[in-house]
Amino acid sequence: MTAILEVKALCKKYPAFQLDHVSFSVEQGMIMGLIGRNGAGKTTTMKSMLDLVHPDAGDVLFFGESIREKGNEIRQKIGYASGANQFYIRKKIRDITAMTRAFYDNWDDAEYQKFIKMFGLDEDKKLMELSEGMKVKYSLTTALSHHAQLLILDEPTSGLDPVSREELLEIFQYLAKQETAILFSTHITSDLEKCADAITYLQRGSVIASKAYQDFLKDYPQQHSLEDIMVHLERKPMEFDQE
Amino acid sequence: MEKLLKKEFCFTALPLTYFFLLFALMTMIPGYPILVGTFFVCMGLFQTFLSAREQNDILYTVLMPVSKADAVKARYLFVICIQMIFFVICAILTLIRMALFAKSSVYLSNPMMNANPIYLGYVLLIFVLFNWIFVNGFWKTAYNAGKPFVLFSIASFVLIGLAETIHHIPGLTWMNTENDGLSLQCLFLMGAIVIYILADYGCIKKSCGSIEKIDL
Repeated sequence: MTAILEVKALCKKYPAFQLDHVSFSVEQGMIMGLIGRNGAGKTTTMKSMLDLVHPDAGDVLFFGESIREKGNEIRQKIGYASGANQFYIRKKIRDITAMTRAFYDNWDDAEYQKFIKMFGLDEDKKLMELSEGMKVKYSLTTALSHHAQLLILDEPTSGLDPVSREELLEIFQYLAKQETAILFSTHITSDLEKCADAITYLQRGSVIASKAYQDFLKDYPQQHSLEDIMVHLERKPMEFDQE
Repeated sequence: MEKLLKKEFCFTALPLTYFFLLFALMTMIPGYPILVGTFFVCMGLFQTFLSAREQNDILYTVLMPVSKADAVKARYLFVICIQMIFFVICAILTLIRMALFAKSSVYLSNPMMNANPIYLGYVLLIFVLFNWIFVNGFWKTAYNAGKPFVLFSIASFVLIGLAETIHHIPGLTWMNTENDGLSLQCLFLMGAIVIYILADYGCIKKSCGSIEKIDL
């Protein structure tokens, strides 16, 4: 398989936190979960990959090319959605789409309408009138309508009800079959159990594992699930535990 | 850039910014510090910056196939276009006042600045302050709009105060007379045009450099 995203030794230092030589790669049609506790560096990694945050060192290659050099070409081929970042929430979906489509060379209206119907989105609604799940679905719709080959999703399932999460995970699996690669960050480990092909685990800004999902599980034979592994890796005794 | 400009005008800009262009009509008010109208149009632009920030516009823009520098340039071009529309309206009204109402008693007895080439020069100088202090200041962080706008407000009102005072100083009365000193007034305007062009060039370059340094 071809690596369509390669993150190489990404470093970014903040006063109280640092990304320390973060490296991993995502292949075509792969669903990779980027996991770690809150504050482990998932969002910083994603923002660094997208050149929104300036890494101190390291490189990010999409389709073999650096985003710093070929940003516009690369952004034509990738999609980004975040549960936290909402744009133009007071505008109607129809108006946001009308503006967004102008910037993509390979925007496909038929594809857009297909996903609008599939997700049951009402184009006359304002973004702020949508539920969290529908907002994520709209972000995915715009990403998929320009035939993104890689979706970078920052905690897309946070704030979703179990039914919406299940739907979204099914969508991820459908997209992966269409050869779309998906990198999504989450701390909801049960989501990954259902669909992830690979795991990159971030702990305090460092990658402690980046491998196939089953191989990752095999590394912790005494743990029964991904959640158990995460608790095993992260749990520190609280003060009242020591008393 | 064409698409980005369309986005700035039709999608990002607040209607209020266009509405505030009507403050150009203050050019005709006698006995009033007419340069305040220029401050108001800058306030309209400030509102668009605030609204764009609240709508997460910069992230929306740079996540599309658009470079950060182009996003900054597009906003600058929007600002410059609004300023030029305001300037042209002021220039037309100034010509009307000078041609049709030159002998009007309300303008002849006006202790404040009359609309003349000097006034138009000051309009451009206030825009230079806005672009240099506010717009440049905003792009240093892409979110902090308050402090640069307060600094611009102080600087612009100092300039308006100076402009309204200076023509009362003996030897400088040509700055507000109808017939004498028109050539000097035009020279002042030409100088302001040159400063405006150079300042805009410098501002765009500086802001494009700033946006590349900050984390969004």
